[in-house]
Amino acid sequence: MTKQMNEKELITIEHIEQIIPEDTDYNFYFGPAHSGSGNFGVKLRIDGEKVTSARADPGYLHRGFEKLMEYRVPMQNAVLSDRVCVLEALNWNLVHAEAVDELTGIEVPQRARYIRVLMAELSRLQSHLIWYGVMSLALGFDTGFKMAFGYRDYILDIFELITGGRVYPAGYICPGGVRRDLPDGSEDKIKRVLDQTEEMMQKMKDFDNIVFSKRTRGVGILRTEDAIRLGATGPVLRACGVKTDVRKDDPYEIYNELEFDIPVREEGDAYARCLIRGREMEESIKIIKQVLNRIPQGNIREPAKITPPSRVKIPEGEVYVRNELARGEGCVYMRSVGGREPYRVKIRGPDFLHMIPVLEHLLKGAEIADIPAIYWSLNICPADMDR
Amino acid sequence: MVEQATKMKRLINAIWIFNWFNSCGFCELVPLVGSRWDMERFGMIITGTPRHADVLFIAGYQTLKSIKRAQVIYEQMPDPKAVIALGACTMSGGMYWDSYNTIKRLADYIPVNIYIPGCPPRPEAVFEACMKIFHHVGAVPPHGRKFAKAHRG
Amino acid sequence: MAEILHKEGKVIEDISAKFKIAGKAQRERRVWVTIDKDNLIALCNFVKELGFEHLSAISVTDWPEEGTFELTYHLWSYSKKILLTIKTKLDRTDPIVDSVISIWRENAQIHERELHELFGVEFEGNEDLTPLFLEDWDGPPPFRKDFDWKEYVRQQCYDQANERERAYYD
Repeated sequence: MTKQMNEKELITIEHIEQIIPEDTDYNFYFGPAHSGSGNFGVKLRIDGEKVTSARADPGYLHRGFEKLMEYRVPMQNAVLSDRVCVLEALNWNLVHAEAVDELTGIEVPQRARYIRVLMAELSRLQSHLIWYGVMSLALGFDTGFKMAFGYRDYILDIFELITGGRVYPAGYICPGGVRRDLPDGSEDKIKRVLDQTEEMMQKMKDFDNIVFSKRTRGVGILRTEDAIRLGATGPVLRACGVKTDVRKDDPYEIYNELEFDIPVREEGDAYARCLIRGREMEESIKIIKQVLNRIPQGNIREPAKITPPSRVKIPEGEVYVRNELARGEGCVYMRSVGGREPYRVKIRGPDFLHMIPVLEHLLKGAEIADIPAIYWSLNICPADMDR
Repeated sequence: MVEQATKMKRLINAIWIFNWFNSCGFCELVPLVGSRWDMERFGMIITGTPRHADVLFIAGYQTLKSIKRAQVIYEQMPDPKAVIALGACTMSGGMYWDSYNTIKRLADYIPVNIYIPGCPPRPEAVFEACMKIFHHVGAVPPHGRKFAKAHRG
Repeated sequence: MAEILHKEGKVIEDISAKFKIAGKAQRERRVWVTIDKDNLIALCNFVKELGFEHLSAISVTDWPEEGTFELTYHLWSYSKKILLTIKTKLDRTDPIVDSVISIWRENAQIHERELHELFGVEFEGNEDLTPLFLEDWDGPPPFRKDFDWKEYVRQQCYDQANERERAYYD
């Protein structure tokens, strides 16, 4: 039914809704090739401009990690564990190494613990820089994207200096400690990189008002009671007002000796999630500076010589290890029956919950133009979900 | 072969890449667009539609589900086109050689022009592969011919 | 040492007072209990009231010699800061268990859907157990111990006549 419009009348949304034909329901596949994340699809049912329902379509990157790990000994698994999620390889290395350490009962030397925390926090920094770059690209801000990836390369140079690989550290954090000691002069290089990262963070603050706040305020609001029920963890949960962080509640390595804050916000929208990640980067820099000041001398691996895998057996037992990754809570459940390989490894990544229940819940009722802001504000990695 | 080379020569002073970034290769292909490795100075950009693309990067492992989509994309790309396969997973299965859901030889599914070894390969290696495409079609400017001789020698 | 495990001891006391099962505090913040599958839902309702509102993961371990599947539910409490793991066993030839979707909702639903696809466990009460990761898969549930991946991959993908691939057969 069209209304006769006077030329002098302004065209408003109500007019447009009357001009568009009634039956505007259609299926829309938000397809597997995304700029800035791996392959993942969402089947949307759209009515006009609003999404009425969403269904996730995972499985494009499913390799069956959990069973692959049953065919390999722990030292080989240390190299395989980086590839669970490429964007935070060292953090997954750490979770796996902690699980094996807890099963074998080895006392990891203090220097190794400090180095592990240093690498994990550097990995968190570069993961948040990737998030910033990709989110800027999604919101149409190309400069932010290019600068974020430019500054991130400085951190990758540090990784190359210490571990030998820019992206995949080849199992640097292995069961028993770390593989190699920090080379001479790395402390000054790390401090310089921290200064460069702080430069980037200052730029992020300057860009904040123009790009992010206008498109992300009030978008994709997640309420507290929904967040826990849907399984959100990490920055997504902290943006809803729940003050929790695995590094404080369930401390591992030497986090209980370090001082850092947990940023929390109440609003639960995409803007709150963005701000929290910015603040987390500041806290990571604080942690790294404390580690560099306090790192002791000593061994970096227990036992000091790596024993050939054919002779090492994992004692019988089961453990559940929880870590705070850049994206949320990452856990490993490992069960061993006394053989050389683990009997069962279950990997629980934060994105398994963020990409299926949380995303489907948030996309319902959203406008099409807001889909990128919601999708990328959750900071998801499909490889972590599919494993 | 000669026809394809001549066709490509006409349009190659810049190659446009389709955005099919899997996870493993994503981490080393996206810095190419960033400000340090900046591939846009060579004329390479990333497009969102296969109809505009000249080159398809298959970066890393493909599962049975995603190779079907990659084949559809390959068929939608107009001639002349090239496929560059990154990483060890495209050659022999790589790190996931005993996984039930990944493909072990990319050449069985899509014809590949260049393989780049590495896990993942460095950005410099990716640039060298792109230079090889330019040499392959003979579309290199005069000073580059010295380069071409050095490569062949 | 006794003070550190005070909270964990209290949780074990509360559970064993109601359900007559033994619990174990493996270390600080880790409590493990085992229960038979008929009382599973009652225990889960009870611990949710105690404060374990976050379901971290559900996992299945396959024991082919014993003929069982072992389910583990890992629960975290934000208020108590303790991780409680509930273990239960199912018969491998007929793996049916009640779904905990009525207690932990969508979080449990997605975990159970994944385990149904990969292990073949039936969760009664969960209506949406459609395949999650695999498309057109008509083989056995892939993560069971009797499905040997190396054998499967050798048959499907590698060629024994080919010189280079002979290494995969050793």
